[in-house]
Amino acid sequence: MAPTVRPQRPGRIVAAQVRSLVVPPRIEVRSVSKSFGSLDALAPVDLVVDDGEMVTLLGPSGCGKTTLLRLIAGLEQPSSGDIIVNGMSPTEARRHKQIGFVPQSPALLPWRTVEANARLLLDINRRASPATPTASVDDLLDEVGLGEFRDAYPHELSGGMQQRVGLVRAFAIDAPILLMDEPFAALDEMTRTDMRHLLGRLCEPLGTTVLFVTHSIPEATFLSDRVAVMSPRPGRINEDIAIELAHPRLPELEDTEQFFHTTTRLRAVLSAGMHR
Amino acid sequence: MSPSVRRVVAPLVGIIAFGLLWEAAVSLFDIRRFVLLPPSRIISELGEAPGFYWSNMVVTGQHMLVGLSISMVLAIVGGALMASSRFVEEATQPILILILVTPWVAYITSVVLWLDGGTPTIVFMVAFTSFPVFTFGVVGGMKSADPAARELLASVDARPWEVFWRLRLPASLPSVFTTLRFAMGLGLAAAYFSEGSALTRDGLGAIGRTAAASNQAETLWATIASAALLGVAGLLVISVLERSLLKWHASQRS
Repeated sequence: MAPTVRPQRPGRIVAAQVRSLVVPPRIEVRSVSKSFGSLDALAPVDLVVDDGEMVTLLGPSGCGKTTLLRLIAGLEQPSSGDIIVNGMSPTEARRHKQIGFVPQSPALLPWRTVEANARLLLDINRRASPATPTASVDDLLDEVGLGEFRDAYPHELSGGMQQRVGLVRAFAIDAPILLMDEPFAALDEMTRTDMRHLLGRLCEPLGTTVLFVTHSIPEATFLSDRVAVMSPRPGRINEDIAIELAHPRLPELEDTEQFFHTTTRLRAVLSAGMHR
Repeated sequence: MSPSVRRVVAPLVGIIAFGLLWEAAVSLFDIRRFVLLPPSRIISELGEAPGFYWSNMVVTGQHMLVGLSISMVLAIVGGALMASSRFVEEATQPILILILVTPWVAYITSVVLWLDGGTPTIVFMVAFTSFPVFTFGVVGGMKSADPAARELLASVDARPWEVFWRLRLPASLPSVFTTLRFAMGLGLAAAYFSEGSALTRDGLGAIGRTAAASNQAETLWATIASAALLGVAGLLVISVLERSLLKWHASQRS
C-alpha cells in the first residue's frame, strides 16, 4: 500500500504566522561576518529563526556553516555584525543556558555513565538549570530507547546510541534553542535515518527552536521548516527555502513524491550555488 | 595453561631463573661480595633481621609516599594552571626542564645544609625530583581532554573550576598513572640517596650508606633488595588503584 502523508494542518501554519508577529525571533543574525586572519570564512550573513522554527544550514564543506553556528552559540566572536539569541547576546544566552548545543561528535565523557552524561549540562552552571525540567532525564532516556542502558559507559554503546545520549543531554536543560552541528554525520545511513526520525519526534511536541547544520539533503528536507542554502567560502546564504511538508513529519513521508520533489529542488539549488 | 595460571607462573619462573643465573654467575666468576652478593646470602641476611629491615622499609616508604603526594598535589594545581593558560605553560616549562635535567645528586648537599638534614630534606628531594615529571604528565593529560567536550561545557558557560573538576582532571588520570610509575622510581631513588645524605639514622638509605662505609656487604645488599621490594609493592598499589579508577579507559579493558 502506498504511504500516505498527513495533510498540512492549517492551524499550525496560522499559529506560526501569528507567533512570528507577536513573539520576537529566537535568533537574529545581522550582517555577521567572520575572518580568521586573512581567511574570510563567512561573508556578511543575515538570518532570522522564529520561535519554534526548525531551520537548516545546508552547504558544501568549508562554507562556514559550523562557523555561523559557533558564532550564534557564542563560541566565536564575529568580525562584524550583531547576533541576538533569545533577546540577548550569545554570551548572555550561554550564561542563562538558553542554548542546547549538540556537537558533531557525541562528546560523551568516558568516565561517566549514560545517565551521568545525560545529566552533565544540568550539573554545570547549576544556577541557570531549570528547577523543574519539562521532561526528566529518565523519561528522555526512555523516549530515545536507552532506558536499559542508564548504567552503561559510553564505550559500551554504538555510535547511534552515543549520539542519542547527546540529544538527551541537550534536551535535558530545557533550553528554548537547540544548535546542532552535523550531529549525525559520522553515522551509517540506516542509523542516520533513524536518528532524524527520532529528532523530529522529540522536537515536534516541544516546539523547540532548532538551527541544524548538515550536508544531507534528505535530513534537511525531513526536519526543516526552512532551509538556508549557503555558497562556498566565504559562505553566504544564497537561498532561503520554505519546506512545505506536512507536520508531524513521520518516517513514511520520505517515501512520498512530495518529499522526492523537495529533495530534488534542494539539490538543484545547492548545485547551482556551487557553480555560481 | 590457562591465562590466569600463566599470569602467576610465568613471572615466578622468570624470577627464579634470574636468581639461579645470578647465583651461578657469582660463584662461577668469583665476583667480590661487595660488587654482587648472591641472592641466597641476601635472603639469609633478610631472614636474620626481618623486623629491622621491615621498620626501615616503612620509614623509606613513608618518605616516598609523603614526597610523592606533595609533588602530585602541586603538579595537579600547577598543571591545571598550565593547561588553562598558554602563557603560564610557556613561562613554566623552562623551569621544569631545568629541574628535570639538573642532576639532583649534585646539589643535595646544599639542600641538606638549607633544611638541616632529616625528614624535611628527604621529603623535599622526593617531591622536587618527581615534580617536573608529574607536571608534564598532568598537563599532557589535561590538554588531551576532548575539545568537543570543552566546547560543550563552554556552551553552558561552565566556570573554570567546573571544567577542571568535571573534565580536565578525570581526563588527565590515565596520563597521571603512567607518569606515577616513572615518578615512583625517581622518588624511591631520591628517598634512598637522600636518607644516606641527610644526617639521619632511619631508612634503607641511611643503613645502606652506613653499611657501605663499614664494609658490610650483606647489610648493603639487603637494603638494596628491600628498596626493590618497596618499589614492586608501590607499583602493585598503583596498578590496583589504576584498575579501580580507570575502569572506563581503553587501557583497562581486555
